[in-house]
Amino acid sequence: MIIIIICIENNNQLQDKINDSFNFKGEKMRLLSLIAIMFSLLFGPAFADGHGVVNVYSARHYDSDVQLYEKFTAKTGIKVNVVSGKSGAIEKRIIEEGGGTADLYITADAGRLGAFKAKGMLQNGLTSEAIKSAVPKNFRTSSWVGIAKRARIVYFAPERVSGAELAGLTYESLADPKWKGRLVIRKSNNIYNQSLVASLIKNNGKKATAEWAEGVVSNMARTPKGNDRAQIMAVAAGEADIAVANTYYLALMLSGKKGAEQQEAAKKVKPFFPNQDDRGTHMNISGAGLVKGAPNKANAIALVEFLLSKEAQEHIVNNTFEYPMIAGVSPHELVVNMGLDFKQDLKTKVVNYGKNQADAVAAMTGAGWK
Amino acid sequence: MKTFNIWYISSFVISLIVIIPVITVFSSYFESTSDYFELLKNTFLFEYISNSLILLSGVLILTLVIGVSTAYIVSFYSFPLSNFFKWSLILGFAVPPYIYAYSLTAFFENYGTAYTILKNLFGESNYNLFIPKFDGMIGAILSISFSIYAYVYILTRASFYFQSDNLIELGKNLGFTKIQSLFKIIIPSARPAIVAGLSLVAMETLSDFGAVDFFSVNTLTTAIYNSWLSFDDLAFSNQLSFYLLIFIFSLFIIENFSRRKAKYHSPLQGGFKVKKKIKLSGFKSFLAFFICFIILFFSFIFPISQMLYWTFLYPKNFFDLNIQSLIVNTLLLVSLSSIILIFFSFISNYGNRVNKSKFLNFLTTISISGYALPGVILAVAYITFIAWFDNTIINYFEIQSIKKIFIGSILGLVLAYFVRFYSLSCNGIKSSYEKLNNTLDESAYLAGYSKFKTFTNIHIPYLKSSIFFVIILISLEVIRELPITLILRPFNFETFATTAYIYASQDLLEAAAVPSLFLVLIASLFILIISRYILKEDNE
Repeated sequence: MIIIIICIENNNQLQDKINDSFNFKGEKMRLLSLIAIMFSLLFGPAFADGHGVVNVYSARHYDSDVQLYEKFTAKTGIKVNVVSGKSGAIEKRIIEEGGGTADLYITADAGRLGAFKAKGMLQNGLTSEAIKSAVPKNFRTSSWVGIAKRARIVYFAPERVSGAELAGLTYESLADPKWKGRLVIRKSNNIYNQSLVASLIKNNGKKATAEWAEGVVSNMARTPKGNDRAQIMAVAAGEADIAVANTYYLALMLSGKKGAEQQEAAKKVKPFFPNQDDRGTHMNISGAGLVKGAPNKANAIALVEFLLSKEAQEHIVNNTFEYPMIAGVSPHELVVNMGLDFKQDLKTKVVNYGKNQADAVAAMTGAGWK
Repeated sequence: MKTFNIWYISSFVISLIVIIPVITVFSSYFESTSDYFELLKNTFLFEYISNSLILLSGVLILTLVIGVSTAYIVSFYSFPLSNFFKWSLILGFAVPPYIYAYSLTAFFENYGTAYTILKNLFGESNYNLFIPKFDGMIGAILSISFSIYAYVYILTRASFYFQSDNLIELGKNLGFTKIQSLFKIIIPSARPAIVAGLSLVAMETLSDFGAVDFFSVNTLTTAIYNSWLSFDDLAFSNQLSFYLLIFIFSLFIIENFSRRKAKYHSPLQGGFKVKKKIKLSGFKSFLAFFICFIILFFSFIFPISQMLYWTFLYPKNFFDLNIQSLIVNTLLLVSLSSIILIFFSFISNYGNRVNKSKFLNFLTTISISGYALPGVILAVAYITFIAWFDNTIINYFEIQSIKKIFIGSILGLVLAYFVRFYSLSCNGIKSSYEKLNNTLDESAYLAGYSKFKTFTNIHIPYLKSSIFFVIILISLEVIRELPITLILRPFNFETFATTAYIYASQDLLEAAAVPSLFLVLIASLFILIISRYILKEDNE
């Protein structure tokens, strides 16, 4: 009740209603006015005004993102409203709201952005000079752009995997029987895996990829479980010899943010960047999409441009251990130590991850990939 | 038409609101949009159903063993701290399954807390391979069981407590040993209560989202959610919902039926005398103490310690968290939903009382079905319904869109809570309202009281304590609630539950510890307040 009273005090209109309510004679009327007040309270926030705001629906939720939005507000006066959650639920809400609320959808996978675009939920407009000059062509479309990059790579235990064994390793060769019982990777419902497999479908075709998935499944050291970090730790703990996981997880563990033990564990594994002799290592993005019917389109574009500024990019790479999207910004030191001179796959456009997503899921589940 | 009055209409409207999500799930105005997965569906369907069944059996067995054994020990024996265990064994309720899951993972994962302890005790070595990994299905079973075994414990204990002494005497006269009496007399006569507890456990298990999602165990509930959200495949989603609801409704019926039966075990007024507990000593006393302690440890002390450990290890997370705003948000939700739920429960109950219409009674019974619908499905059904309503009806009349009022607003959130928890509140009020004799009303009318005055001056004061009890129950549910809040909350609005979940889903379990800890502490406080009611021993 105290809270309600505090809220009421902040609202002059309601204050009047309260005064009125006490002027009424009879308990019935008083009760009715109380009900009226309660309902005004409920409806109050729904009619909140929307000038100088941008509404962000985010499937990424780092505290550092919030600090970044605060910087943007300080600079432009535009308030950033955020609602976060898992991408599926966020997307469903944007779709059902049917435009008029969401401005920007931020998520950590090109496959998701592409699939959302395919549903007709994004609009063109991220085409300003600032965006085009900052982001390489294969990491953007006119309706969504990459904000930061990550690579999906192989981790190995140097004690049990020799240099000769690794030489020339590709994603394709993970299906090689020599890795039988030695490989760990996440479940097939994981979007990072879906995007990786989608890129394989783009490069090698459906049939070859379906066979590849069968090979990978028969090489697994255990039924897939846990997140990317759990795969790396499984290699450190000796449950497997090689793991597939994103780059920033190792840096996160090495940073000590996950405690001294995981820092130790991270030192027991080494990163390996696959496909160096052909198209390069599989790259993915965290990105932002401009939602169809966005009520604050200009503000949304301004926020994307800000996220691609040097200041914001430095903030992102130092907090999330991703690779910067723009030139002239260095990743976090721990990421630099993992090696920067690897060949990135800039040939396979990330837009294919969304296009081939359904085929990727079919290939994996068809092979019995849990 | 005397019966067609304001009470009638309001009860009708309440029932309609609560039943809408169920109808939405089953409605056929959706079209199947992705037939791509057609071929895979049959294998998926089998996997989801079998996973749900494995999870269900695991949790049922575990909660049965834990709930009945602790209830037996605490009801029939006295040993050191037995009175403390009597109420502390319900504290497990304060730890929602998803938060239990975070602690379990943190402790047992590779290089987790267990590893740290072993390393500090015995020095450097690779202990990871020897530490059991409680994840996946086993993790989900453990998390859910320790969080909700108290349903079985509470109902079984009540039944044991009111079991007449004669039965136990009977056992002695028949020359049964204690074990024989337990299995041949005590447990069979408490069976309805045990079944009622187990059906509640089963309903909660089937509708759990947080823990199974965290361990990525594909159950019917997560599958409905995923096929609805990720694949836009509403036809498949409806098919799954159909199976799930059939499951849940049959449990609902079993529970109601068993409850009614369980009542016969309460002795008649006056015929009840407090049983003398058997005093244990020596090894037996230690064993009883040990069993209770182990259960208390695993259900409450273990998750709390893991979260405390993290909070001390990473104090930055504590200082970074905007605790004040989380408390304000939680209180706002708790107070608004309590007021609305209590208000409408009274309307419905009072309407039933003054009208005595069978149809009205039937409507009230239907309207409690909201609780059977898993929160995550309710939230999606709610959004879908509002969108449909807005696109067809509101659009037809060319009025301003109502979506912003109902989706992503406090109102929307409270409405969804209303549907979910209406059964809790309505039944809570109903059970004490029924004890209020009708002649009381008639005397009031004779004394010249209006119906309204009878309500405010006689009913409300009499029902004060049960209103309080219901408010605490609602508060407990609201602060633990995850999926509805997650899907429907407004901009820049977090609760302890959503904060913990979002950190956890970003692989920041250590940051999830602080909001989880607050949630558990607040919930424990609420539980302590109502433990007196839950464990009541005066046979009113």
